[in-house]
Amino acid sequence: MKLKTDQFGEVEFQEEKIISFENGILGFEELKRFLLISEDEGIFYWLTSVDQPEIVFPLFPINLLMENYKQNEGYEPFGIVKLDKDPANITINLKAPIYINHEDKNGFQKIIDSEAYPVDYQLFVKN
Amino acid sequence: MLVLTRKQGEKIRIGNDIVITVVGINDNQVKIGIEAPSDVKILREEIYSKVKEHTVQATKMSKIHLDLDKLKLNKINKEK
Repeated sequence: MKLKTDQFGEVEFQEEKIISFENGILGFEELKRFLLISEDEGIFYWLTSVDQPEIVFPLFPINLLMENYKQNEGYEPFGIVKLDKDPANITINLKAPIYINHEDKNGFQKIIDSEAYPVDYQLFVKN
Repeated sequence: MLVLTRKQGEKIRIGNDIVITVVGINDNQVKIGIEAPSDVKILREEIYSKVKEHTVQATKMSKIHLDLDKLKLNKINKEK
């Protein structure tokens, strides 16, 4: 199958790579099928809608950011990242993680109703 | 909008399987109990709006170049 993306041009993939989000993602409930695109030298993943390829969620693996984040067996937690030209303004959503099961190709979003997990956590600091 | 008046301990039933209970009333706060099937999403409105706004904004940004030598992850260490 082929997908035309703004960022990566035409992406070719096999149908079994499609990750299904039965309940969608908050605000985008109608989109159920996604492709997780990664780059060799990038730190982000790009969760791209198969049916509406202009909709792309930049993701970052939360396990690289903190230990003891809410786990879900078999699933890897990712946070949706809001990018910005100024790295200090790049934020990750820790309150509404995206869980992906890479083997079953299944994903879902969860909302953690706790003040410990902000919606817009600053992802980078100056080195 | 349907507006109903209820006293503490009284309930409202929505459809066949959702029951709302006024658990407590205190000055300008109301404590509400909700019984609903597990597939029904229940969220405080302000959290829903905040999450949605961040997500919508996230889809509007495209790839950027990051100078990773000058940045480090803002790691979260769980406090003891």
